[in-house]
Amino acid sequence: MSIKVKTIVRYGRSWQERLYLIEVFKGMACTFRHFITNFLDNSKLYVRHYPEVKPEITPRWRGRHRLTTHEDGTIKCVACYMCQTNCPAQCIQIEAGERTDGRTEKVPLKFDIDLLECIYCGYCVEACPMDAIRMDTGIFSVTATNREEMKMTIDQLRSTPGAFSEEEYKKGGA
Amino acid sequence: MTLQDILLIIIRVAIGAFVPLCFVAVSVWMERRGASFIQDRSGPNRANILGFRAGGLIQNLADAVKLFFKEDVIPAHIKHKFYFVLAPIIVCVTALVSFAVVPFADTLVLGDKEYLMQAIPTDLGILWFLAIASFAVYGIILAGWSSHNKYGMLGGLRSAAQVISYEIPMGLAIISLLVVYGTVSLNEMAQFQGQLLFGFIPMWGVILQPIGVVIFMVAAFAEANRTPFDLAEGESEIVAGYHVEYSGLKFTIFFMGEYVAMFASSAIIVTLYFGGYQIPWFNTATLLKYAVPVTLLLMIATPIIAKFVAAWIRKNNVSHYERENDPRVREANVYIKIVWGAVILLEAIFFLYLVFASGGAADNILVACLQICTFLAKTTFMLFVYVWVRWTLPRFRYDQLQKLGWNVLLPLSLLNIFVTSAIVVALS
Amino acid sequence: MFADGLFILFTVIAVTGAAGLVLFKHPMNGAMSFIVTLIAMAGLYALLSAKLIFAIQLIVYAGAIMSLILFIIMFLNIQEEDLPVEEGRFKYLIGGAIIVAPIGLFLTRVIKSFPGAEKTITVEGFGGIKEVGLILFREWLLPFEIVSILLLVSLVGAVVLAGKRRMVK
Repeated sequence: MSIKVKTIVRYGRSWQERLYLIEVFKGMACTFRHFITNFLDNSKLYVRHYPEVKPEITPRWRGRHRLTTHEDGTIKCVACYMCQTNCPAQCIQIEAGERTDGRTEKVPLKFDIDLLECIYCGYCVEACPMDAIRMDTGIFSVTATNREEMKMTIDQLRSTPGAFSEEEYKKGGA
Repeated sequence: MTLQDILLIIIRVAIGAFVPLCFVAVSVWMERRGASFIQDRSGPNRANILGFRAGGLIQNLADAVKLFFKEDVIPAHIKHKFYFVLAPIIVCVTALVSFAVVPFADTLVLGDKEYLMQAIPTDLGILWFLAIASFAVYGIILAGWSSHNKYGMLGGLRSAAQVISYEIPMGLAIISLLVVYGTVSLNEMAQFQGQLLFGFIPMWGVILQPIGVVIFMVAAFAEANRTPFDLAEGESEIVAGYHVEYSGLKFTIFFMGEYVAMFASSAIIVTLYFGGYQIPWFNTATLLKYAVPVTLLLMIATPIIAKFVAAWIRKNNVSHYERENDPRVREANVYIKIVWGAVILLEAIFFLYLVFASGGAADNILVACLQICTFLAKTTFMLFVYVWVRWTLPRFRYDQLQKLGWNVLLPLSLLNIFVTSAIVVALS
Repeated sequence: MFADGLFILFTVIAVTGAAGLVLFKHPMNGAMSFIVTLIAMAGLYALLSAKLIFAIQLIVYAGAIMSLILFIIMFLNIQEEDLPVEEGRFKYLIGGAIIVAPIGLFLTRVIKSFPGAEKTITVEGFGGIKEVGLILFREWLLPFEIVSILLLVSLVGAVVLAGKRRMVK
């Protein structure tokens, strides 16, 4: 039995390569090829024309948060504080109240996420026992002109729709 | 001093001073778009005025406005404020002045008077360039030293050592060139390169001095502090080198100085090795003799070239994504109209020349204009070579840089001098 | 008239620079004022229509040598507190000036009594690069070569001295 030996070819030892000039011209020919093709026809550039053409977001992408609801429109969140406890950035502020629709006992009265503090780690989604918080909105560009706008309230979180269907989201591995 | 004298002085100084400054914009633009095309990106193409982007040139305007309105900080720890302010000025002014002796057209003969077409009409030529180029290092030294900052100091030291050591191979390459041309005046060198070797090859320096051109170009890249020799501002090691403490307008002047130096050294390379203002196979005498046929040829050639340019604009100035009423198509229409307008203007000028002014002084002016265009085209190509090399080759390590300078280029340039002198003596 | 004005300007700049070299305390200031002197000297050569000397003054002295000196000053990075305390600088300066003054006076007398002091240059192409080169290589070839050998010797000496330290190590 022979041992498998892979011989690595070492470059830069022959006199042509040590002369360096030939290699310089080879490299310059390569870059010039790229230049001239793109100069004569700029339609094949590896560029996404960003603000107009949006990138493809997969269901696994952790974008801005949303709070999910049952079919009848009531909120899934039971204000168990799991996400708030788990949050490493401590950006979630929950205030619990009594629930009246008979599903469970508690409901969040306040559910604030400070997006300036959020690190988009997704631990809140992992921690949630009710699948009530998800990061599948597909919103990746979060901007505002002042600090207050960056604070998401419960209404904003509820009204944000998910960007993917249930099957896609499940397949995405969340 | 007649009116003609004064007018020509104004024209020459204007070309000598404003062309390098205008080419700062062109070369910055070329650097960005060239780099992006080499890397399969599209580069800056969004900044616009009323939807007109001029292929990304407007981005330079935006950058210039930004830099002009930035706060011009002089850090509190700087003790020698005078040198701190002086340094960028030295870098920029020396770069500008070193272009002053480069001829951009052959000696213009108007009536019984001859005009050297360079900003400073002197025959010092290459000696002036060497003298002024060696002053640029003061700007770098002073900037690095007066910044009073470790990065600035290291950058200044590196750059100064590099420039001083590469000046030697550069000077030696020039000496072997002087042996060939037998003159130091750049205009006479360019005239020499108008001849033909064996009757059909243009007698350019690059053909007579193939080793010299490599040495000179490597040294010129090192002098201009461009990649692969831009250790002075190696971002990964010393942030920005000697201009790390500079901001706002002073940084702008440094930045402009770098590009003006790039332009000046491209102009020198073109003049020394690539025939200067000479159109290959058409030296000044030939051009004057065949002024009318050449004009007719140009009258035929311009619309054909313009047609290709228009097709190129039409093809490339569109949005590459779904867009209603693409504004870039409208923009392209305007550009194409401008191109055809320029063609009509040129044709009109050529026509008027043919009908009214052919023969006599107008021939000389036409030839001078053609030569200026040739010179600028060659220099633009040389600037592109600078950009091209920058985005192809990685940066040298410092010991490799010095080894290349002293162990390779210096002996090679000495050998080149011996071989060249031997051949010149044997042939004469 | 114009040339006289330039002459006065250049001499004033040269003397001011030289004075700065002596009087400034910081070596960088001294070196910079010396550069100013050298450039003014180059201007004076240009006024004498010595083109080659003008260019060489700029390339060799103002360009190469002074940039090396500046480089070394930057390399050592001398701070204000590193500089030696010089007491009685002005006493020495004034004393030196008094000693040197008679020699200067004597020299001006000597120059005035030169036979060709009033002579002006009329030769076509005087001081041009070609003319100087021709004179140098036709009439003064031997001294020129001897000087170049001297430079070569010093070059070899520098290399030997620089190599010796490595041997000891």
